[in-house]
Amino acid sequence: MDTTKILVVDDNPTIRKGLGVRLRASGYEVLFAGDAVAATAALVTDRPDLVILDLGLPCGDGFVVMERLSNNDRLANIPVIVLTGRELAGNRDRALEAGAAAFFQKPVEDRNLLYAIRKALDNSRGELRFDE
Amino acid sequence: MTKATRPSSELPAYLSHELRNALACIQQFGNILIDGLAGELSGEQREYIGIMLENASKIRSVLDSALDGTERPL
Repeated sequence: MDTTKILVVDDNPTIRKGLGVRLRASGYEVLFAGDAVAATAALVTDRPDLVILDLGLPCGDGFVVMERLSNNDRLANIPVIVLTGRELAGNRDRALEAGAAAFFQKPVEDRNLLYAIRKALDNSRGELRFDE
Repeated sequence: MTKATRPSSELPAYLSHELRNALACIQQFGNILIDGLAGELSGEQREYIGIMLENASKIRSVLDSALDGTERPL
């Protein structure tokens, strides 16, 4: 059985490292990107099963990454979970309208994030089965 | 932008971003330690990390209330 790949996009290396430890301990393969350009490259090259996306990023913010995802037929069904330090106002609704499967403000409880990941992956795989 | 030149209207967004990222790091690695993902801890070590996490949670609650007008249960 293939390992589920999760791309963690955050410009803070300590956040990336902590999420990596937690996600690997939960059985996921973890990929990293520190800015919007690297995130776009990783999406195309590695085609992760899910993205955990910060909004405040160098070289274009998280909304730019979500727009690139939704404009690419091959990538458009990859679920995105937004995990950001930004304020709720103006960001939560915009992220959900842009297609995010879930929106969390930092710091997030591990159990809530892991639950959202499982749920988003289940929904994504269900959609794929339905489409087939 | 430096602290001195940042418009006061941007202060809440700046504080939210910086403090939430710092708190996320504290909570993330505290939980990694207390869950034994970096090796087993003694009972005393677990107790002290638990105190750190409990207080990080209190700070988060204050942030939620002060910056976003929301409050999460402790």
